[in-house]
Amino acid sequence: MEERDPSVVAKARDGDRDAFKTLVETHSRYIYSLAHRMTGNAQDAEDVVQEAWLKAHKQLSRFESRADFRTWMHRITVNCSIDLIRARRHREDAHDPTDLEHGPLSEKGAEAQPTPERVAASVQISDRVNEALSLLTALERAAFTLRHVEGMSIEEVGEKLGMKTSATKHSIFRAVKKMRAALEPFAQT
Amino acid sequence: MNHLSEDELILHSYGEIESADRTRVDQHLASCIECQQSKEKLARVLTMIDAAAPVEAPAGFERTVWARLEPALDQNTGSTWRTLFSFPQWALAGGVAALVIAAFVAGRFSGEEPSAPAPSAVAHVEPARVLETAVGDHLDRTQMMLVELANAETDGADVLAGEQERAVDLVAANRLIRQSAQQSGDAQVVDILEDLERVLLEVANAPATVTSNDLTDLQSRITREDLLFRLRVIASEMRQRQLQDREAGDPARRKMPTS
Repeated sequence: MEERDPSVVAKARDGDRDAFKTLVETHSRYIYSLAHRMTGNAQDAEDVVQEAWLKAHKQLSRFESRADFRTWMHRITVNCSIDLIRARRHREDAHDPTDLEHGPLSEKGAEAQPTPERVAASVQISDRVNEALSLLTALERAAFTLRHVEGMSIEEVGEKLGMKTSATKHSIFRAVKKMRAALEPFAQT
Repeated sequence: MNHLSEDELILHSYGEIESADRTRVDQHLASCIECQQSKEKLARVLTMIDAAAPVEAPAGFERTVWARLEPALDQNTGSTWRTLFSFPQWALAGGVAALVIAAFVAGRFSGEEPSAPAPSAVAHVEPARVLETAVGDHLDRTQMMLVELANAETDGADVLAGEQERAVDLVAANRLIRQSAQQSGDAQVVDILEDLERVLLEVANAPATVTSNDLTDLQSRITREDLLFRLRVIASEMRQRQLQDREAGDPARRKMPTS
């Protein structure tokens, strides 16, 4: 069953398990990439994908048949990523506010700081950008991704992440400065 | 002449300069070659980010997702929930209690040195792992129950009544684990267990005649407090931590998931 067939979504909405499986198989790679960009690591991205599909399954009856399914899944995935980041933040706030800058989503990034050897070995722009993204904290990454990639205004990003606008701005500033420091040597021309 | 700050250049790139500053910033940029060059450098970096390909999912990812997802979808149907949760909860509570007690006997969670050597029968128990396992198991089972409740039709209030006995057992297990976590100083585990306990108590103490409003209230609470997602996060961290422990062969871990 091809997902291009518009009836697939309709069948899934009517409870057809095979149709829903087709949707999962068609879109999971896309939403994984999106979730990874938001969260910064594979484990969290996998959890977000799982959560996004569960929500989609539950809310499928509300999906407008004229809308684009991938766009709908995109929105659910972004929201699930934000939920995860906020849930972490909620617990980290209660535990130790300084963890926000050194939380689990950023630990891997800290380990993955590009050494000169690794940078020299990296010939792909994508590798360099992903290395640079891994230097951001969870909050910086989320704020930057929502502003730069998702195109939300800073105010909207703040609302999504439960932060004041000024704090959101500073998260984005720090993110862009880190990205700039890491990437400017490779972006000269 | 005062040049534009990097923050102002970033805001300008995103079209987010405050209206009060816009004229000043625009005029300065139009006349200052140095700031123009800085903005161009920034633009090149941002373009480079746009050009980067996203991280790809591992091979066969779609199949893995479906394998994980399909059993969870079954829980949404409502038809299989009783068989899914047929595990005797008294056994869980008893098992957890035994594990936690074993952990205490080993004398590691209290933070105090035991005054006497631990009995040999439990001396080999690594309490952090015992508690991790117990908590992971408990979280999984609580999660299954909450999924069922969260997805129940609001006119199926008997679902809530049917979960009461299970909730009583889960409350007992929850308390044991929470007390252990408190003594071991795992604040975030205590935090989620406290929230869970309130919901479990609500289910356990629901009135004999449960209305659809009771169920709706409970579902709202589960959603409002992000309970399911917080549960998944902490359960996921727990699995990750156990995996790391096994890989590292670290026998002396004393903490549960960090964050």
